[in-house]
Amino acid sequence: MTLALVLAAVLAVCLVLFVARPFLREPEAADDALETPGEEELRRLALAEERDRALQALRELEFDHRTGKVSDADYRSLVGPLRRTAAEALRALDAGRDGSTGGEHAPDGP
Amino acid sequence: MAELGRAALVLTFGLVVYAVVAGVYAARAKRRRLARSAQNALLAAFVSTAVAAGVLWAAFARKDFSFTYVASHSALKLPLPYRLSAFWGGQEGSLLLWLLILTGFSAAAVLLDRRATRDLLAWVTPVLGGVAVFFAFMLVFVASPFGTQTAPADGAGLNPSLQNPYMLAHPPMLYLGYVGLTIPWAFGMGALLSGRTDERWIVATRRWTLAAWMFLGIGQLLGSHWAYVEVGWGGYYAWDPVENAALMPWLAATAFLHSVMIQEKRGMLRVWNMLLVILAFGLSLFGTFLTRSGVINSIHSFTQSSIGPWFLGFIGVVVGFSLALVFWRLPLLRSKTKLESLVSREATFLYNNLLLVALTLTILWGVTFPILSEAVRGTAITVSKPYYNFFLRSFGLPLLLLMGIGPLVPWRRASLRSLERTFIWPLGFAVAAGIVVIAFGGGSSKIGLITYTFAAFVTASIALEFVRGTRARHALTGGSWVVAFGGLVARNRRRYGGYVVHAAIVLLAVGIAGSSLYQTVREQKLQRGQSMTVAGYTLAYRSFQTKKGPNSTESRALLAVSRGKSSLGTLDPGKNFYPVEQQTSNEVAIRSNYATGEDLYVIADQIDADGSVYFKVLVKPAVNLIWLAGVVFVLGSVIALWPDAREERRLAERYGTAGAAVRA
Amino acid sequence: MARKRSPARLVIALSVAAVLAVFLLYTSIAGGGTPSLSPSTIAGHTGRVSLAGAVVGPLTGDAHQGGLHFLVKDISGKDGATTAVVYTGSVPDLFKVGSHIVVDGTLRNGTFVSVPGSLVTKCPSKYTPKKS
Repeated sequence: MTLALVLAAVLAVCLVLFVARPFLREPEAADDALETPGEEELRRLALAEERDRALQALRELEFDHRTGKVSDADYRSLVGPLRRTAAEALRALDAGRDGSTGGEHAPDGP
Repeated sequence: MAELGRAALVLTFGLVVYAVVAGVYAARAKRRRLARSAQNALLAAFVSTAVAAGVLWAAFARKDFSFTYVASHSALKLPLPYRLSAFWGGQEGSLLLWLLILTGFSAAAVLLDRRATRDLLAWVTPVLGGVAVFFAFMLVFVASPFGTQTAPADGAGLNPSLQNPYMLAHPPMLYLGYVGLTIPWAFGMGALLSGRTDERWIVATRRWTLAAWMFLGIGQLLGSHWAYVEVGWGGYYAWDPVENAALMPWLAATAFLHSVMIQEKRGMLRVWNMLLVILAFGLSLFGTFLTRSGVINSIHSFTQSSIGPWFLGFIGVVVGFSLALVFWRLPLLRSKTKLESLVSREATFLYNNLLLVALTLTILWGVTFPILSEAVRGTAITVSKPYYNFFLRSFGLPLLLLMGIGPLVPWRRASLRSLERTFIWPLGFAVAAGIVVIAFGGGSSKIGLITYTFAAFVTASIALEFVRGTRARHALTGGSWVVAFGGLVARNRRRYGGYVVHAAIVLLAVGIAGSSLYQTVREQKLQRGQSMTVAGYTLAYRSFQTKKGPNSTESRALLAVSRGKSSLGTLDPGKNFYPVEQQTSNEVAIRSNYATGEDLYVIADQIDADGSVYFKVLVKPAVNLIWLAGVVFVLGSVIALWPDAREERRLAERYGTAGAAVRA
Repeated sequence: MARKRSPARLVIALSVAAVLAVFLLYTSIAGGGTPSLSPSTIAGHTGRVSLAGAVVGPLTGDAHQGGLHFLVKDISGKDGATTAVVYTGSVPDLFKVGSHIVVDGTLRNGTFVSVPGSLVTKCPSKYTPKKS
């Protein structure tokens, strides 16, 4: 009976310590702010998603065309707008990146 | 040691309450250290729950009957595997299993997504904690597995028909599925709470959803197989409420799996996806509730339990809270893209979703109808097989067809001209298959004919996808065809894994149609020496023997099976009588033909004193395709689940740079 | 693409209507489900119903020849009401005096005549206490 309680007490102490760990490691945190993406960041994210979507749609269109699912006529009518959307998204993303403030290093290209 | 278990659960309760309170505060006030602390609380909760689970398992292992739960769910003679699986045999233990898996999955989600989803995770933590609070509360205050008593000399036994390997795996698989659906839901709620409108929550939970869905599917197949070989009425699914309890979340999750693809590709259906994930999780809780609360008359009904009302209340809170969140964030969720054409792959996904949800809701209606009708009219009215079969056919057959149409239709829009070309081969194959089926006598069932024709269509469509894709890749990269094929699948794991899963569903459909629509059933009383014929098989009743098994008396009727002139061996159906439990169990005899998938299924229905036996014989064509479908299903899911380094890199670039300052 | 209304909404609305139509069609043809009754509530019901209760002995007759006769009482033991049942068809193994069963059939002249083969026993509580 007492063994069980001792074990339970040890467990409790260990777990509470673990929960308190962030505060124990940094009793005085210079910056305790939880990073939330700001408006700028969210816009960039949305653009990145749009770009990825457009690029993937292009890739799939190429593949579908190659495998014969999409006829030449359909391909011709679909590929133009898709390329334009992708180019726009890439342009907007680059513009956003160039214009962004802060010391983040942008990766080299998609 | 029970005190350790109880204390550990109290610890868990405290930790998850902290995770909720601290987590909400940290997310709102944007406090990094507090958010981290809340996440640690979830991790710690897993440890303490694991300790509690360990205590219970150890008690089962060493046959400690001072634990009331252990005494009522195991016995001295029960072999170790079944003693360990008795952990989830009762109400309290299964709640503990739920909590164990939930805290385990929560810990994994926190650890895996820590870096990239900081603000999302800040909200996901208290949501996961909230679910855990309910289960921990139940375990500490309402249904504790750590009650103690003066140890009796021996415990209660385990129903012999449950001492079966399938029953070892069936509940844990189902629970992995049920609990697994919590993660996508929690991330969805986290996204709503944090106001994030991007697809991060979907990307983060894609594999969780797929894995949970896979486990739920396997769990159901295991249960069906057990019912087929052990319970032995000749079927594998009875539309019992408890069976439906697992089917409904699985169908909703299937719809969700498909519609998230649309959101990823086109940014559409955002609100729909939120509603679907809520439906899937809600049904998963409802399924647990149905199985455990005895509220609905069911063949599996466990005794009316105390946790029923609590569960119902919790489901109400969860659904209400989730819907309120969606309503609050509705403006954020509105997507800009619209469906361009009703003839496009997006549209087929939409139709697929509508059919799946319709089927789910009709099953839900059928399951809850007794309760509702009792409340309204005073008498509980049950619906049974005819109702479910009708809707399974009405919605299932179009779904089957769509599986074949989908891959043939391109995204965005398709002109009818190009469709003609892609459809011609599969259509031709389907028509040819239909003719073959009729030639073999399959015209006796119109539904069966339709099912087989559709199945052929889908098979051709899938095969064409693989062939065309391999050919295109081979043209691009050269090398051998095998390498091209492997490369094709490796670069598009989700798509081709998905096609393999579709192939599994085709096998399932063919197996179900064959074994129910084309089966032959015959009942006959035979004296020793007599024989009967069923669908070309001749069964001759040779002799009857009784022998003593380890804990039962086994009575067997020996039958010689032949087809025409050739002998096909013997079958020995019969019954086992367990003197200790005072129970008889049916032992069916099955002869499987692995070439055709057909089963000869013999039940010794009634054994009379003079040695004559009422036999019920079923010949079930294609039934083994159902079990084969399970294997293919797992294969396809694993392919789709397999991590893809290129995709990971792409996603890391997209999301990883969001707030990329590195901190502990 | 200047579409005022997304066809998606139209599709959804039409589908919901279609589902409802299918549903109403079915319930009007099939007449819905079977009432689930117990011995204390079955009196006066005509037509096919589901009777649920606990088996009371003695068991006489043969289910495959002439019918198995037994009594069924309320599971909750209310009123001590019992209904006489005559059953034909397969008898599940778990069936014995005391087991909880559900059987479909019609009440005729005070006896519940079963639909052949519709007898179903509930899985007992998984763990039976040892008989001391």
